[in-house]
Amino acid sequence: MAGAPERHFLFDGNARTARPGETLLGALTRGRLPILQRSIRYHRPRAPACGVGYCTGCLLRVNGRPNVRACRYLPFDGDVVRTENSWPSPRLDLLGVLDVLFPGGIDTLRGFRRPAWATGTYHRVVRRLAGYGAVPDLGAAAGLAAPPVRWTVDVAIVGGGTSGRAVAARLASVGIRALVLDRQLSAPPLEGADLASRTTVTFLPPPGGAPDARFALLGFEEPARGVEVQARAVVVATGGYDASLLFGGNDRPGVVTADGAFALLDRDGRPPFERAVVVGGGERAEQALARLGSRVTAVVAPGAIDPAVVRRASEADIPLYPRSLLLRASGRSRVRTLHLRARGSGARFSISCDAVVLAHRRLPTSQLFFQVGARTEWRAGTGAYYPVLSSSGETTVPGLFAVGEAAGVLSESTGTSAERAADTIAGRPRTDDPAPPRVAQDGPSELEGYYRELWREPRAGRWVACACEDVLLEEVEDAVRGGYRGIEVVKRYSGLGTGLCQGRYCLPDALLVLSLLENRPPPEVGYITQRPPVVPTPLAAFAALDDPAPPREGP
Amino acid sequence: MTAPARSAYRIVVVGAGIVGLYTAYHLARAGAGPILVIDRGFLSSGASGRNGGGVRQQWETRATVRLARESVDAYRRFGREFGYNLWFRQTGYLFLAETDGELARLRSVHDLVVSEGLPSRVLGPDGVARLVDGIAPDSVVGGTYLSTDGTLYPFPAVWGVYEGARALGVEVALGVEALGVETSGNRVAAIVTSGGRLETTTIVNAAGGWSAEFSRRAGLTVPNRATRHEILATEPLKPFLDPMVVRASDGLYFSQTMRGEIVGGLTLRNGVGTEGGMPSSPRFLKEMSRALVRLVPRLGAVGVLRAWSGFYDDTPDGFPVIGEDPRCQGFVHANGFGGHGFMLAPAATLRIARAVLGEPLDLDPTAFSPARFLAPERPASVERLQLG
Repeated sequence: MAGAPERHFLFDGNARTARPGETLLGALTRGRLPILQRSIRYHRPRAPACGVGYCTGCLLRVNGRPNVRACRYLPFDGDVVRTENSWPSPRLDLLGVLDVLFPGGIDTLRGFRRPAWATGTYHRVVRRLAGYGAVPDLGAAAGLAAPPVRWTVDVAIVGGGTSGRAVAARLASVGIRALVLDRQLSAPPLEGADLASRTTVTFLPPPGGAPDARFALLGFEEPARGVEVQARAVVVATGGYDASLLFGGNDRPGVVTADGAFALLDRDGRPPFERAVVVGGGERAEQALARLGSRVTAVVAPGAIDPAVVRRASEADIPLYPRSLLLRASGRSRVRTLHLRARGSGARFSISCDAVVLAHRRLPTSQLFFQVGARTEWRAGTGAYYPVLSSSGETTVPGLFAVGEAAGVLSESTGTSAERAADTIAGRPRTDDPAPPRVAQDGPSELEGYYRELWREPRAGRWVACACEDVLLEEVEDAVRGGYRGIEVVKRYSGLGTGLCQGRYCLPDALLVLSLLENRPPPEVGYITQRPPVVPTPLAAFAALDDPAPPREGP
Repeated sequence: MTAPARSAYRIVVVGAGIVGLYTAYHLARAGAGPILVIDRGFLSSGASGRNGGGVRQQWETRATVRLARESVDAYRRFGREFGYNLWFRQTGYLFLAETDGELARLRSVHDLVVSEGLPSRVLGPDGVARLVDGIAPDSVVGGTYLSTDGTLYPFPAVWGVYEGARALGVEVALGVEALGVETSGNRVAAIVTSGGRLETTTIVNAAGGWSAEFSRRAGLTVPNRATRHEILATEPLKPFLDPMVVRASDGLYFSQTMRGEIVGGLTLRNGVGTEGGMPSSPRFLKEMSRALVRLVPRLGAVGVLRAWSGFYDDTPDGFPVIGEDPRCQGFVHANGFGGHGFMLAPAATLRIARAVLGEPLDLDPTAFSPARFLAPERPASVERLQLG
């Protein structure tokens, strides 16, 4: 796209530009972390945190359409972009006073019942606080109307990352042209396969009872085109994401996942921070060090730090703090200090910083396995559920395969995992039987012990258990104290996991917390039913798929 | 699983949904103990945790209107009585008519509702458009609106009644399934559960969508049918819609919750029975989305956040089944509420409790008694407004 013109748009009335291929978030960052939102209950300042389209930190109104994720949007000339849910601006929102007025939290379960004559006023006030964006402008949906895309293929691969592409390439080498559905906004082309880019699969129902029943996937292409795919075999290569972590002020602007930090880099690779603390001691922390380089001020880890990370940090004179409890991130509208304690009742200490980059834990993107009814198993080592797989990478649902990080395959085995699945689909199982792919092992959980130790610490600052709905850790504890047990009930009691990310970020930690509070292993705490869609899917996209026209091949 | 503490109870209620818990609460207040409520799922795992939170008084029969009106009063008091805030918002139910025939049907509902002293209004297209900002032009010929209908949060109602009943000594055992009933002569003698056999003389079947299955396990054939209904919620938006909106023709309904989500559903003819579980279907997502976007086009730009489903417990005449089964002394029905158990629960469960205690009921037996399905005659009246 060299030489393509810049895009000119309005942001809260000011003229801004986006370079070709630059996301709206990228255009609004340019080396300075923007505060674009406020939290839903306490109006705490929120900055982009996840970088991959799930958190609420970059929701903006674009051309009259609310809740557009700036990290998932490529601006057009003439776009009108506005901040919402704050007055006068996200940086200086007067409703931020709620955070000060209600240090113990707002009790919407039991509060606001008296006096009876005031309930109407309570309703009006609380309703106004709810919601991120306002209803779409009249006509906002008209601009989104697009005929749906329908594909009928042999093999659909969900995810165009390393492992999805490896499966497609292997299939192409034996003459099978697969369809790769890729969520990335701009993906490199693929040889020998069809590529549906900017496309998110959000619903994979179980195939019907007939033996030749095909999978029927639903999803959408950004911004709102309906996509439906019929396939004989489906390969889930949805990868993984960086987890959040519970500590005081864990929602402060500047606390980001490694995914988020990378999404905030400008085109020269510069992040919008000077002194980042990287959290984690494994492969992901090493990647964070490699990409954030001189902007890293320290590496802290809940557990041990791998030799590779130690080596890389020492080369750059970056101090290391293995086995540390993260207690609190303090600072007003930006994290300024990270407060810690060495584990095993060691000394308290703090690190001055302007970002905390969470790279301590990778989790599989696994919703589709639950939707389709594939059996999953809990692995304590990572604290996540993975699909149960045959040696060829097939799940318990015939015709459904899982590869790469979504299947718990370690990065060095991505190729093996992809080859096995492709060869089985192509009907050419390997005869030489090389070593099977290495997967995330079950084993003692480092984080369970970490949280047990953290629980003995006095708490300061808001511990946000669910950032989308502003649910505090105390509310989760209240639910358990009140006799409400199990994640399904605690979810309904507290609202945890019911927001825009549908539990993607809060659920993994909540399972460990409930396990601790209820004194039983995480699998007994249960799991939240993974309901469709995986990510919010525009009504217009689903509506267009109701068109009775017969299926046709995709473009 | 929470195991029952005793081996014998005076009353065992099957189903810890709003109907079962509220019945136990009324019974405990009347001093009838010991009482056990069992449920094979977790609290709010059934329809009580899966409905759209609508509470309306617009019905086709006087008996239902009265139960609904009494329930609205109870929900207004709920916060003071049970300590939980339901956020019960009386911002009305708006029924939409697309044809003159539908409007005529709504008009007869309106006449009945007005005769019961409720402030129902008949609206033309302009009146409807004032209540639904952005409704597609020419999409309706009119509608009826009752401003004292409303919406609430189902979950805190379950928590409140659960805690209220327990505070009065009711025991609630979750994760315990009712497997069968032992009788002696035509009398209930015991209930067999996954947590063991429990002696009792009274069993209340408040199992919602699973009530027919449990009646069968007790050897009783009933006409109840479980039908799966789907529902979705969108991303939360700032407030723009006050009433619950229901369309008579296809059962489309939607409202905006206190949290700002648009929550709604549509009637699809799904198969009968609970065997298939409670999944969501592509068909529902497509048809519901199209119906909603056609009626309110601007919503096309809003994201669907999640979809789920639950079971209605339907009866042939649309009335619930309240009272002792004539074939089995001590087996009391508290089921058949269709998709409207939540709306009617406070008032209906008061009658269920009276039936358990053998007290006279102020309900028309030809409409509510389980005996009505055992007689060969046609039902005396029918409640067909099974929407939203």
